[in-house]
Amino acid sequence: MAGLATTFGSGAMTNTINELEEAQVILVSGSNTTVTHPQVARRIFDAVDRGAKLIVIDPRKTKIARHAHIHLQIRPGTDIPLLNAIMRCILDENLIDDLFIEMRTENYLAMCDLLLRVDLNQAAEITGVAADDIAQAARMYARAQRSTICYCLGVTQHTCGTANVKSYANLAMLTGHVEQEFTGVDPLRGQYNVQGACDMGALPGGFPGYQAVADPENRKKFEEAWGCTLPENPGLTVIEMTHGGPDEKRLQAMFIMGENPMLSDPVLDRVRTSLQGLDFLVVSDIFLTETAELADVVLPAACFAEKTGTVTNSERRVQLSHKAVDPPGEARADGWIIQEISTRMGYPMQYESPREIMEEICLLTPIYGGIYHDRLHASWGLQWPCLDRNHPGTPFLHKYNFTRGFGRFEPEQHVPPVEPADNEFPFVLITGRRYHQYHTGTMTRRSVTLTRERDTSLLDMHPEDAKELGLADGCRIRVRSRRGSVPFTLHLSTQMDRGELFSDFHFHESPTNILTLADSDPEAKCPEYKCCAVAVEVDHD
Amino acid sequence: MIETQTLHKDYLRPLLRKLGKQYRLVGPVRNRFGDTLYIEITDLDRVDIDLKHQPQNSLKSFFFPQTEPLASYIVDTEPLSPTQLYSFHPLLPENRPTLYFGVRSCDLFAVLYMDMIFLGGKHRDIYYEQRRRGAVFITLGCNEPFANCFCNATRNGPFLEFGFDLQLTDLGPARNSYFVEAGKANGVKIVRKWARFFTVSTKEDRRFQYQAALEARGLFKQLVHVDLACQELEKGCEPEDVLTDFSQRCQDCGGCAFICPTCTCFSITDQARDQGSGERIRSWDGCTFAGFTRMAGGHNPIDMRRHRIRKRFFHKLKHDVQKHGRPSCVGCGRCVDMCFGGVDIIRFINAITEAGDLGRGKKRGV
Amino acid sequence: MEYDTYPSCSLDARRQAQAGRDNIYLPDQAIIRNIIRENSLVNTYELTLVDELANHRFSFQPGQFMMISMPHLGEAPISFSSSPDGEDGFSLTIRNSGRLTAAVQQLRAGDIIGVRGPYGRPFPADRLEGKNLLFVAGGIGLAPLRPLIEYWLSRPDEAGNLTMFYGSRTPEEFCFNRDFSRWEQNGLNLRLTVDQTAEEWDGSVGLVTSLLDGYTIDDETMALVCGPGIMIRFVFKQLQAMGMKAENIITTLERHMKCGVGICGHCHMEEKLVCIDGPVFTAAELPDPDNP
Repeated sequence: MAGLATTFGSGAMTNTINELEEAQVILVSGSNTTVTHPQVARRIFDAVDRGAKLIVIDPRKTKIARHAHIHLQIRPGTDIPLLNAIMRCILDENLIDDLFIEMRTENYLAMCDLLLRVDLNQAAEITGVAADDIAQAARMYARAQRSTICYCLGVTQHTCGTANVKSYANLAMLTGHVEQEFTGVDPLRGQYNVQGACDMGALPGGFPGYQAVADPENRKKFEEAWGCTLPENPGLTVIEMTHGGPDEKRLQAMFIMGENPMLSDPVLDRVRTSLQGLDFLVVSDIFLTETAELADVVLPAACFAEKTGTVTNSERRVQLSHKAVDPPGEARADGWIIQEISTRMGYPMQYESPREIMEEICLLTPIYGGIYHDRLHASWGLQWPCLDRNHPGTPFLHKYNFTRGFGRFEPEQHVPPVEPADNEFPFVLITGRRYHQYHTGTMTRRSVTLTRERDTSLLDMHPEDAKELGLADGCRIRVRSRRGSVPFTLHLSTQMDRGELFSDFHFHESPTNILTLADSDPEAKCPEYKCCAVAVEVDHD
Repeated sequence: MIETQTLHKDYLRPLLRKLGKQYRLVGPVRNRFGDTLYIEITDLDRVDIDLKHQPQNSLKSFFFPQTEPLASYIVDTEPLSPTQLYSFHPLLPENRPTLYFGVRSCDLFAVLYMDMIFLGGKHRDIYYEQRRRGAVFITLGCNEPFANCFCNATRNGPFLEFGFDLQLTDLGPARNSYFVEAGKANGVKIVRKWARFFTVSTKEDRRFQYQAALEARGLFKQLVHVDLACQELEKGCEPEDVLTDFSQRCQDCGGCAFICPTCTCFSITDQARDQGSGERIRSWDGCTFAGFTRMAGGHNPIDMRRHRIRKRFFHKLKHDVQKHGRPSCVGCGRCVDMCFGGVDIIRFINAITEAGDLGRGKKRGV
Repeated sequence: MEYDTYPSCSLDARRQAQAGRDNIYLPDQAIIRNIIRENSLVNTYELTLVDELANHRFSFQPGQFMMISMPHLGEAPISFSSSPDGEDGFSLTIRNSGRLTAAVQQLRAGDIIGVRGPYGRPFPADRLEGKNLLFVAGGIGLAPLRPLIEYWLSRPDEAGNLTMFYGSRTPEEFCFNRDFSRWEQNGLNLRLTVDQTAEEWDGSVGLVTSLLDGYTIDDETMALVCGPGIMIRFVFKQLQAMGMKAENIITTLERHMKCGVGICGHCHMEEKLVCIDGPVFTAAELPDPDNP
């Protein structure tokens, strides 16, 4: 988010998902696309069928990586040196897009400066990728007319997540692979409607549509519309809230909707302490989650099929989803819950339907200015920015102009992982998702079929490592980090290199996030989920 | 037998209204989101009956719902007699005589296949039978096959020769009527009982119908050699390359099995309501899931994805040919639309027949 | 495929009653009379149907299986392990290998479980009559062969020579060792082997295939093999190498099953369904083990 916002001026997918099918080169990074975004993977497969080349940057030999023409199997957390090396190769072979750099970007000299100091052999050493492969990938990406980059949480969930993203943006600008159809930089969002939540201001520093809270003009607009006074300062990020935050900002009460930080946030012990330290905790969710168990009040919420509203996906597409069935029992839609609480707390909110709320969004949020419910009926939705009722929506961003004016090169240096492997904790643990479960399992673990497919938390380990430790496939093991220990079932896999481990975080029986680091990116505040040092031993319990 | 008839298109709704008094009606309806689905019609005047597009679902769920309770059970810890300790009580579906109209040839043929699976063995499935008994089918031949159809190659369309109660053929805009053939007893009964809606077909009607059926065969957009693929499989062909490719592409979503009108595999699970009671639930299952064959203790006789995909296609095109004399793919093309990764039966068949071409070429020394 | 015979009438009472009886998915209740501990993971349960009339009518043949139900845990197929001539009920030998079977281990005599069956194609009694029978078993694989052993031992006039090679991991893990001396007295030539030697063990050590070496095979011999998949594969290979015809080698398979009656599709094995075409198969009927 923050990375693309600084370089391009807008932090969302620059293209539509369908445009992937027409790309000539697709660079996928930090995304287990077939597992986490099957609908994107499908377009990539189709593109490859039509002759497109696929480059995958990932520490794991995922399915999409096995499908790739070039797989750059980097060590976790070494995206920046790899990208700098790729850019250096592009520069050396003079495959840069001079005209684009000249007309559309700024700060190129600083970038050039950095690239000319890159030592390709050193980069190969840091990343663990052969220099030849780097050069080949560079050539492949730069020479095609329509190259596109897709990245996911493997890039962002690092302390240097924002810097990683900026590097991908640098690469795209260096070769002029933005601002057109079929070519751009596409962050794949981690969750259903997470784009919509960000768009609607579920970020500490913004009103809906990324209108900064700090800007008095914006505040004035919303204060007039809502008839109340709004705080001047940005709020707290999730981690600041669930980790207690700085003392002077200690929270007294929290209202958590549809989120399960007791499994999903790093250093779970701290999350528990800070949630238990609250005077009052309200949780609304579709099932009684681990977080809801700590709550003073639990509100049963309706699930997606039980309410009407819009969903915004990775490609900024706002789609209307209709209520299919009534919510069970006393469950209510989140919107209803918010309105009732607000009304009973003295600020009456009386929207007669989601349609009316959408009309208010149109009024106050320029990028959503023309997205009315009636326009979304029987259509595939509209992509923001959609400024007014007649605006057709925007399939790809930054045409003729970056949102921020000039695209800005942001040269970045390698930031080593906060916690490298050492003698005591010799393995690097990467976390991610498995296909048959979703996130903390609130929605998927109640499904008999999905549970049949996957009902335990596995730790993937290279067979050679397991042999050395004397561990057999399927045995119970305990993974220890500086913060705690968690039991897993061992699964031998050659997907990772030796010394690297992979686990999911879907199961409360194996709360992986006891192990992970709280250190987070200084700008986006996204924690380093993808890289922490651990040790493995047999579980004797 | 009975003479063939024609039914003026204006009379279709009035006829259905009459039949709706005797039967529950199920037919293809276009909803407000632009999707055509077979649904139960409760009010003929409030639905948009769509006989132009292929329904996205098949009739499978009307006879074999996606999930259905088979029985409830009670576990009593302090019973009066031992039989109360753990007892089951069937939850049989109601038998409702149903008229299915606007049914495409592939979908009716799939029902005939399901009859064989659920009722054709030594043990009959009474849940299926409850829904199936008293069903009447008015089918609609396809003058213009849809994008992914290949029922000509699976030999069950675009027009049927048996299985229907009534089969309609659109005689085109100029004549604005349907040609009606009565197949089974209920069809004959309908034509006799509601004779005032029908007129005996003329020689010209029959010529038109013959012409339409002939033309439809030439309008298929997919060229798929199902028979040839079945022969190659029978001879022992193992298409390794395409299975390897498919195993990379399959996303394990099970969509192919769920959308398929002839995929009848199911799972049964007991779901607790509370400590002392629960329900035995049957739900659709798919052989592409690893858990489909995994046994207690973790051993899985079919543990590799390529073997699971092989099993699915071989079942349709080889094993059912061996067992029942014809492939159980009905050529509806729905799995082609459905699959994310392009793991569809057309691709599979083409891969086999193309490989077969090469093989035969080699033998001749070409 | 013709369905004209179905009248479009609603269900009457008679049909409803019949439907209840025909319902293949509902288990009957069986009471556990006795539990015999075979080893740390395996128990044999002696069962009787609670319904007296049903119990009186109940019969099964060696090689068949029952679907057993446990509250909230669903069903699993289990082979009969008792003599088909048993007067009062039947036995099932169950190994603790999953959630359902773990719950079975908690049961006590007097408890009720759900059972339905018998299902499956039994061992072909007509083909076995008068033949020399060679039983090769590994671990709990003896359970489905036990009804057959009891059956032929009690009909000495109709049977040929009976030989059994039985392998286990350790001496403690042999199932049915209480039967061994009785079987030997009744004419079974029994040889045991273990994978791991133990102090009090003076029998042979090694895989069960090593016992086959001294055995002579003629056209009048039929082999009945059951055990872990890998054992079955090696025994098949060796017997065939020793000149035995594939159709004279018989085994019984295990698969994940839901219905047990040929509908649910879980146990498809090539064109066969293990639940109705099996679980008993000859080696000739099975797909090439190296290419499943």
